[in-house]
Amino acid sequence: MAGPALKRLMAEYKQLLQDPPEGIMAGPVSDENYFEWEALIPGPEGTFFEGGIFPTKLTFPSDYPLSPPKMVFTCEMFHPNIYPDGRVCISILHPPGDDPMGYETSAERWSPVQSIEKILLSVMSMLAEPNDESPANVDAAKTYRENRDDFKRRAQILARKTLGID
Amino acid sequence: MLQISPRLRNTLISIGSLILTTAVVSNAFYQRKQFYPSIIYITKSNASMAAIYFQGLTLVFLTWKLLRWVFFGQLRPAEIEHLVDKSWFAMTDTCLAFTVFRDEFNSSFVTLFTILLFLKCFHWLAEDRIDYMERTPVITKLFHFRAVSLLTTLSFLDIFFVAYAYNSLVTRGASYQLVFGFEYAVLCTAVGFTAIKYILHCIDSLHDQTAPWDRKAAILLYTELVINFSRVTLYTVFLVLMFKMQSFPLFAVRPIYMAVKSFKKSLYDVIMSRRAIHTMNTLYPNATLEEIRAGDSTCIICREEMTTSCKKLPCNHIFHAYCLRSWFQRQQTCPTCRLDILRPRRPATAAAPAAAAPAGQPAPGGGAFPPGQFAFPQQPHFHMGNMAFPFPLPPGFPQHFPMPQPGQAGPAQLPNLTGAPMMYPAFYPAGGMMPPPPPLPPMPVPNFADMSEEDLRRLEGDSRRALEMRVAHLRNIQALLDAAVIQFTQYLSLMTPPVVLPAVPLTSTTTIPTGTSEATVSSSSTNATPSEETPTGNSESDEVRRRRLQRFQNGLAAEQP
Ligand SMILES: [Zn+2]
Ligand SMILES: [Zn+2]
Repeated sequence: MAGPALKRLMAEYKQLLQDPPEGIMAGPVSDENYFEWEALIPGPEGTFFEGGIFPTKLTFPSDYPLSPPKMVFTCEMFHPNIYPDGRVCISILHPPGDDPMGYETSAERWSPVQSIEKILLSVMSMLAEPNDESPANVDAAKTYRENRDDFKRRAQILARKTLGID
Repeated sequence: MLQISPRLRNTLISIGSLILTTAVVSNAFYQRKQFYPSIIYITKSNASMAAIYFQGLTLVFLTWKLLRWVFFGQLRPAEIEHLVDKSWFAMTDTCLAFTVFRDEFNSSFVTLFTILLFLKCFHWLAEDRIDYMERTPVITKLFHFRAVSLLTTLSFLDIFFVAYAYNSLVTRGASYQLVFGFEYAVLCTAVGFTAIKYILHCIDSLHDQTAPWDRKAAILLYTELVINFSRVTLYTVFLVLMFKMQSFPLFAVRPIYMAVKSFKKSLYDVIMSRRAIHTMNTLYPNATLEEIRAGDSTCIICREEMTTSCKKLPCNHIFHAYCLRSWFQRQQTCPTCRLDILRPRRPATAAAPAAAAPAGQPAPGGGAFPPGQFAFPQQPHFHMGNMAFPFPLPPGFPQHFPMPQPGQAGPAQLPNLTGAPMMYPAFYPAGGMMPPPPPLPPMPVPNFADMSEEDLRRLEGDSRRALEMRVAHLRNIQALLDAAVIQFTQYLSLMTPPVVLPAVPLTSTTTIPTGTSEATVSSSSTNATPSEETPTGNSESDEVRRRRLQRFQNGLAAEQP
């Protein structure tokens, strides 16, 4: 019965269980629904978001892996590449062909060769190194560019919040 | 604020409404004592009527809940979301329709409209549910039972209402029944499509897991085309009839637009799919078992083992044929390396002497070139003139160059091509941005778009001529790749502190013996000539440079055997 998208998602889940990437936890929300995933992204050590564990939600289209999933941070975030509503804006999540910004080369974009693991790792490196060139959150990009200390302070507050420490 | 769960709230509303109605009815009966006078009493009183209408709404809501539970059980959040979205559109469309038929607006119209909206909701939910079949690993017997009974019920109801509207139109002439008739006819197409999908999913599930039923996608594609076409036809007929009988049906503009749009999309899908299949079947060979086993035998698209029916692209990447086809419907590139599969056959048109194009720069960086880098094969067929070397190199670089057909031209001649595309990002400096490119000699951009069909055909086939042409293109690629290496070296050397190499000593290097470096140095010396015009005022630094170069040359000469 299972469609190609489901098969591939199950295969990726199996792979992630067998060989999980450092510090990342990800899996479908339920056994019956493999098209919604939850993932916990640790803030990389030695970066602004160090110490936090950031909950995210991945939503897969029915034609996965032909189209990329959507990814949303479900906690409060302050980051140049995350929209104020939590949506993640990185090139790996953009299908090739539509490039509103004109910044990205197609090699960085989505194709079936990418995977959930690669997305999660990309998001981790996005946390480590924000890209303020085509910001999704202009406010965050401005703070990041002009006032690193303030950015770091706000990132650390958010990181602590994810641990339930206020 | 008191927090009430929606469930409790609904129960309270239902009970409240029931109490209200009972109160209204018993009050009327108490006042008038008899049945008919009581009814008249209720209809005369606005407050009583409001209570009755409210009771009607609650009843509709309860029926809805019951039927929904019978046919669907618990709704998923996505289904609810779709339902709400679509209901809003359906409501607005119908409100617009009310304005056209405002003379006929009465309670039977409201009833019919409620039933229509009701049925529409069930159609949408049915579609979502059947689509969900492909997305869940858990399909129970109950699911099948619900699906079959729901689809049967819906199709019977649709047909009944179409017939009812038709009869009404024939006997009583044009009325709002025309709108309802067409609405139900469109719903018929929807339930038909859903039923076909259900059957296809079921057939698919009976197939062996290891050998998926690869015709399903194609059948679905064509079914969608047919369904969308019939929908557009229905709307056209509706439009004509409405225009004749009443006025232009403004309320139907949105659904018609949507129907035309999805028809266009399904037509485009079919065309793209056909093109992809054609490309795959004519251009790319089936991968042999040895070829599959040679590399990673996992298909990168579905992450499953590849055994049979696999295709090999010119870049030597292998995929399941059916996986590749679904991808080609979206994009005509290799999923792994993004080689453009539709363009590779287009050859460069112009030919020009080659040696002039690469290494068009006086070598900066204190002679940082290892001797091997300049080993530029001097072949008579360098058609480099019109082949631009775009900078910075886009990762899609190989897309623009003619590719050989594997098996005929042989990957062996192009060992670096197969792996090359994946490597491009690695050439970017760590910072991510390219340094400003040095002034390159003007290199015209290749203009493959001008290729006529005939030119393309000339490249196909096994004739000597076609073979020769392909070989010529291969040489172009080689030249371009060599040029790329040189350019990259230049870029890398640009990143070290610039030390301008004087032109004068270079000419003397022509005396250096041996093969490779001779070709190398002579080509760079010709290219260096423009810089000879630089003023020779700074004699002190000139002297330093000369000495440096002398040392470098000595080193070079010492390395020669
Ligand atoms: Zn596959
Ligand atoms: Zn490839």
